[in-house]
Amino acid sequence: MRTPSGNKVYGMGAEYPSATALYEAAKRVRDAGFKRWDVHSPFPIHGMDEAMGLGKSWLSAVVLAGGTTGLLTAAVLEFGPSWLIYPLIVHGKPTNWATVPAFFPIMFELTILFSAFSAFFAMLLMNGLPRWYHPVFNWQRFSRATNDGFFLVIEARDPRFTELEARELLEQSGGQHVTIIHED
Amino acid sequence: MSERSDFVPVPEGEYFETNRFAGLSLLLAVVGLFSLALCAVGASVNRHQFSFSWLFAFAFFFTLLAGCFFWIIVHHVTDAEWSVVVRRQLENLAMLIPVMAVFFIPVLIFRHHLYEWMNVAPGHDPILDSKRAYLNWHFFLVRAIFYFAFFTGAAFLLRRFSVRQDRDGNPAYTLKMRRVAFTALPLFALSLTFGAYDWLLGLDYHWFSTMWGVYIFAGAAGSSMSLLVLVITALRNAGYLKDIVTMEHYHIMGKWMLSFVVFWAYIGFSQYMLIWYANMPEETEYFIRRNTESWNSLSLFLVIGRFFVPFILLLVRSPKRKARQLCLIAGWLVFMQAVDIYIVILPALHGVGLHLSIWDFVSLIAIGATLGFFYLRILAKTSLFPNRDPRLLESLRTTN
Repeated sequence: MRTPSGNKVYGMGAEYPSATALYEAAKRVRDAGFKRWDVHSPFPIHGMDEAMGLGKSWLSAVVLAGGTTGLLTAAVLEFGPSWLIYPLIVHGKPTNWATVPAFFPIMFELTILFSAFSAFFAMLLMNGLPRWYHPVFNWQRFSRATNDGFFLVIEARDPRFTELEARELLEQSGGQHVTIIHED
Repeated sequence: MSERSDFVPVPEGEYFETNRFAGLSLLLAVVGLFSLALCAVGASVNRHQFSFSWLFAFAFFFTLLAGCFFWIIVHHVTDAEWSVVVRRQLENLAMLIPVMAVFFIPVLIFRHHLYEWMNVAPGHDPILDSKRAYLNWHFFLVRAIFYFAFFTGAAFLLRRFSVRQDRDGNPAYTLKMRRVAFTALPLFALSLTFGAYDWLLGLDYHWFSTMWGVYIFAGAAGSSMSLLVLVITALRNAGYLKDIVTMEHYHIMGKWMLSFVVFWAYIGFSQYMLIWYANMPEETEYFIRRNTESWNSLSLFLVIGRFFVPFILLLVRSPKRKARQLCLIAGWLVFMQAVDIYIVILPALHGVGLHLSIWDFVSLIAIGATLGFFYLRILAKTSLFPNRDPRLLESLRTTN
């Protein structure tokens, strides 16, 4: 989608006077069936994920996979040499599986380490970070998002997006300064 | 994820109708009295076994109730919001500790059967002689009196302020409870730690472990959160607290159960691993006894049943948000607390393997039924939740 002047359109944004107004507007946009849109506020708003209809994040599944990998890595690295490849009696302990208490701390640590890394990097990936520039920065008023502004932006690539419908929805839900935002 | 509840409770609160449950109350009283009478028989027939069985039942219920007390003071100290709706039940449970003080009397009477150090004359055991400053009868008695005086007094004050707030909603009571809680926090840590040393570790006066107090605490706190889940669900099934306690609160209780499953394993393993690795004769005695013969199977069962199974079950989100499923896990954890306390106490008597005795169960039923009877009486006296707490509405609208 392009404006008459030929600029590619990123989406349409509106500003709301308060967190409550933004919360209510998010519910209306959710119920209108939009999928590609986001809200921006200076602070986290409790219950916003519900109001936006986000559902459960799948980050936990990634962390579970990461943690399991860590646990198995530790198990292989410890049991492999100490039990199978190069059994060596240390401290009078047996060389079979019964030495597992000595191995638990490393299994525990690697589980935590791998979980933490997978959580951190998967979070960055899912959020599309690091990213130094975003089309919403083209909107002059948006700089208040880190101060006292509450914004809702519907992206143009949403299949339901039409200029008329988006504008009407944003204005009806109490949005002010409804603006077309350019891609670049 | 449900939308936030807009339910506003009536300011009068909700009351437990005793007449609806008169039959249950009577049943508990009859069972309690009958099994207490049986206990008297046990005490005369097989005094040595009975004293250990009684200590097992006593320690099991005492840790559960002390854990409930812990959750009240944590609620006030951290100024928690979610737990307002369940706090009254914790207060009611903690008010059973004075009953436990009465049940402690048999432990004092049978002390010569339980605590070997009381039978050794000075000068016969150099290890014991070096511990005499702490391990002597008078100090033991004074400490026990202090623990019960502290638990009773603090639980009484916390409940009294909370109930008074039900009447006028004065927020000053919240501040008073917070002051009591801050004072009680270090005293609780000392009382539970040294109580665990006196009553449980003292069974083997040669052995020592600096992790002991924390180990008992970890088991107590986790299993009392499970007990809370059971109590709340029982009340909900009876038709109370339907709109008050939501699945969001269950989710939080489930998370606490998970964290204390992990904490218990962490502390238990830390204690075991250091002793196992260093392999010093004066320390390994405790674990050698519990890792040989049939005790070994029970110890393995404890490790798997109290950590691995509930850990995996509670790691998943959905069981924490379903009352029935969380109740099954909670019931299992309370049972595992009993197994844990059993493994702590009974090997001191039966060193060569598991030997179940009828008196283990009779003592358990006697104390359990009596506590249940008193609980129903305490329950009916006040609203089932702090109906005028200044933060009640926030608590009702808790989301995860």
